Parts: sequence; C-alpha cells; structure tokens
Amino acid sequence: MSGWIGKEVGANIAPTDDLRGPGTRRTTAGLAVVVLVVVAAAVLRPALQDLLDRPAIAHWATVFVAIAVQAMPFLVLGVTVSAVVAALVPAGFFPRMLPDRPALAVPVAAAAGAVLPGCECGSVPIAGRLVAQGAPPAAALAFLLSAPAINPVVLVATAVAFPGRPEMVVARFAASLLAANLVGLIWARRGRDELLDRARRRRSAVDGPPLAVLVATAQHDFLHAGGFLIVGAATAATLQTVVPRSVLDGVAGAGPLSVLAMAGLAVAMAICSEADAFVAASLTQFSLSARLAFLVVGPMVDVKLVALQAGTFGRRFATRFAPLTLVAAVASSALVGWWLL
Amino acid sequence: MNAAGGTISLLVGAVLMRLTVTGTYRRYVRGGMGPWLAAAAVAVIVIGIVTVARAIRSTPPIDPDRSHGAHVGAGWLLLAPISALLLVAPPTLGSFGVDRGATVDIRAGAAVFDPLPADAPARPMTLLEFGQRSFDRDGTSLRGASVLLTGFVAGTGEGSFPLARYQIACCAADATPVVIRIVGVAGDRPARDQWVTVTGTFAGIVDDVPELAATSVVEIPAPEDPYE
Repeated sequence: MSGWIGKEVGANIAPTDDLRGPGTRRTTAGLAVVVLVVVAAAVLRPALQDLLDRPAIAHWATVFVAIAVQAMPFLVLGVTVSAVVAALVPAGFFPRMLPDRPALAVPVAAAAGAVLPGCECGSVPIAGRLVAQGAPPAAALAFLLSAPAINPVVLVATAVAFPGRPEMVVARFAASLLAANLVGLIWARRGRDELLDRARRRRSAVDGPPLAVLVATAQHDFLHAGGFLIVGAATAATLQTVVPRSVLDGVAGAGPLSVLAMAGLAVAMAICSEADAFVAASLTQFSLSARLAFLVVGPMVDVKLVALQAGTFGRRFATRFAPLTLVAAVASSALVGWWLL
Repeated sequence: MNAAGGTISLLVGAVLMRLTVTGTYRRYVRGGMGPWLAAAAVAVIVIGIVTVARAIRSTPPIDPDRSHGAHVGAGWLLLAPISALLLVAPPTLGSFGVDRGATVDIRAGAAVFDPLPADAPARPMTLLEFGQRSFDRDGTSLRGASVLLTGFVAGTGEGSFPLARYQIACCAADATPVVIRIVGVAGDRPARDQWVTVTGTFAGIVDDVPELAATSVVEIPAPEDPYE
C-alpha cells in the first residue's frame, strides 16, 4: 500500500522531473559512495582501534551498536509485514471500512491502527493516502497517531524490553489509544481540514506486480526506518555516555518534572517506535510513569516525524498538529501512568 | 538509488549474519536473540540481492522510492554501525559504565538459600547469586564453602579490588552492573577491565558490598557470553 502512497507523497516533496533525472548516473554515483565509505573505513581501521582504547568511546560504540543490533529483527519484521500489506491490500480498502460520521470514524480508525504493523515512518504516508481517498481527516489523523504505538510488533517489542512487567504493555496501549482518540476528536470539532490540502489534492495511485511492490517497499522502508533508527541509537548512546548521571538522576527523581523530561527526550531522540521500548528500558533511573510518557510521546511527536508530517500534509498543518498531539500524549500518559503503574 | 540502497541492505544483512555465526552478537544483546538475528539477516540479504539485481538489469522501476527522491536518504546512516562492526567490533561493556550508573539492587530478590556443602570443589556462581547469598541471613549459606566467580576488574584498592559483571535485560543499552569486592589479594592486582576468575570464600559485608577473600585470582580473556 505504501508503495503507491509513497509515489504520491513524493510528488509533494520534490518536483517529479527532478526525481526522474539521469538514473544511470545516479545509480553509479550512489554505488561509488557506498564502496568509498567501506574502503575509507578500512583505511582508517588503526585510528578506529585507537579510539576504542578510550573507555568512554568504547562504551559509546558498544551501546550504539547494541541498540542497532537489538532493534534489527523487529525493524525487519515490521517492514516485511508492512510491505506485504502494501503489495496485497487493494486501494480504497481502508477508507471503505470507515464510518462516515467523524465521532464514530475516529475511534474505529484509531483502533484499526492496532492491526497495521509498522513504525511511524510508514504510517505518515498511509494516513496521507487515507485523506487523499476521502476518509475524514480526523479519522486518518487518529490512525496516524495510534498505528505506530499500538500494533502487535511494537507491543511485543515493549513486552520483551520490560520483562516481567506486562502492565507496561497495557499502559502503553491504553495511553496511546486515548491520546489518538483525543486528538482525532478535537480535530473533528475544531480542526481546519483545509490545512490538509496538500494531502487531499493528490492523484490516485499507480500499482505494480505484487512481488515487485513488496520487495521495493520493504527495501525502501528498511533503509529509511533503519537510518532514523541509527540516529536514535547514536543519540541514546551519547546521552548514556556524556550526560553526567547526576543530571538525569536529579530530573528523574522530580515527579511530574520527570514525565516532562522524558517527553522532551522522546521528541529529541526520534527513535523508531519498534525500538524505543529498549531505550526506555535502559533509562532505569526514571520512574515507570515517566518512561511511559517516553513511549507514548515518541511514536506521535518527534523531530523526524514532524518533518515527515510537514512534507506530507503541509507545514502549517504540522505547526498546529504537533503541539496539540504533544499535550494530548503527555496528559494521556500521566493519567494512565497514575492509574496503572 | 536502487543499486546503492540494495548494496547497503546486503551489507547490513551480511554483517548481521557474521555477528550471529561468530557469536560476537552476545557482546551486544542477549544470547537468545541469535535465531531472530539470523532470520532478519536472511530477509535483508534477500531484499538487497533482489533490489541490486533489478537495478543491474535496469528493470523499469516499480518502486515507492520516489517518495523521498532518487536518493538513499537516512539509509546512508546504516553504514556507520556496519563499518564499525566490519572493522573493529566494539568490546563488551567495561568498567566505564560501572562508575556512572546505578548498580543492581542485590537485595531485591530476598531469596532464602540452602547451605553449600563445605568440602566440595569451588562452586561457580554468578555475582548476583553470590551477592544474594551474602545478604541472605548474613551469608549463612556460604559459610565454609569455596566459590568461583567470573567478572572484570572495576577499579583499584589497597589489597582489594571491585569485581563487576553486567546484567542485561535485552541489550547492552540497559546493562546494570553487579559489584562485589575481592579482598586479601596478595602481590600484583590485575589491571582495570581485565577479566578474571576468582576462587575464595565469603568474607562478610562492608558498606553494603559483599566481600570475597581470594585464594586465587586468574586472568582470563573476556568470555563469549559476557553478561549475566
């Protein structure tokens, strides 16, 4: 599905002419860069080895690689399943399943997020597609927010990251669903749908042979989600290595402030929702409620996601939607955390 | 785009597979992850090969990539951990993290242990079990028994040193160390971050840290499975 959605999103991000440029030259240049990076790394090997003799850098590198390696099976599972959906679920299927009235469509769409495995990078174009096909924008937005947080892949990852704490999985599910519904219903009542024009103007999609769409979507999603995962792993490793533990511990002990601090951390770190539970689990100095805020805010608002949303729906939309979502997500996780954790 | 992107996927898959086959992955994640890593590696390799093959044969693109233009985008960043792992696999976590974070709360389990047989050969156990036995009725179950502990040296002291080993739930990012103290060390103390096996007997608890009176300290290479 995101296969043909992707094309349409692309038409909005950059002029099509540019994208159809001299393909052969681009291919060769790209491949050359890959080779160059690997060769350069090989040449620099002694320098790298020296760097790893410093305890702080070795610690950083080990944590960085560990987060990337740990997340890889989940990332691959997510992109594979979402590619199968992309290849096999017919166009127009999701909009047809939705009720017409926003007050009904929002909860249905938010709940539907549970069956679409993937992380937030995949759900943005899908939500854009839903809007383009005439689904109520409020419903599409509820789906956009819930899908990356409450689908089975993410919930299983959360259960693995918090062994012996099933209440964390339940709390994540409940708080995320609550926040998605809140934002959807507020948008249905007060939102200005014309802000979504960028998504609504799109042409309908082109399709291809299922197997080719499957592989191409998986390849595309893997690279993009994988790249953002690396950013998150590097940020998390840096935080763990350079931030004096006493600072985090100081904030961590401070009740409500710690919830806000973890929400801010989630926005700044921009970790893929399939991997964020592992990072949350490692921030052991924070209370479970604060870490819940991290897990609820992360898949809904982060620096990378806001950029994706601006590209898909328009910048004016993103500047209104992101703060609204942030407030709803923090409020929901504070409420659910107080209740369940 | 496609040839470069496919090659990156192929590299990621190949490196993951190498990590799994050589067992090096246990420096970073729990041992149980092995089969999952292998499966992910196979999937990524297949995706990469198909993508590269299509690019080489110049098959007309049926691809979603125009969404982000004809470039690999964030995918380039995958080359960072790949380069690191291909060339210099980062080591297991060392003493750097022990000084910085919280340590495992040994008393959290509050288990009750049966006494160890007194005249048996040294019994291997985890640092966590040694700690928990120490706090169980002041180490009653350890009295007179010889135990064998494996960990790394986490600092220095007069005739003693802290011995540590990390516990991990998932990956090295969530590692928390168990720390005890080795006392009665004659002669040269092993260097910081050196892995050792220590044989000895329980010597009491000082400042909430269980102590082991060493009868022998043997330096060893870092174990295959460095975490408890």
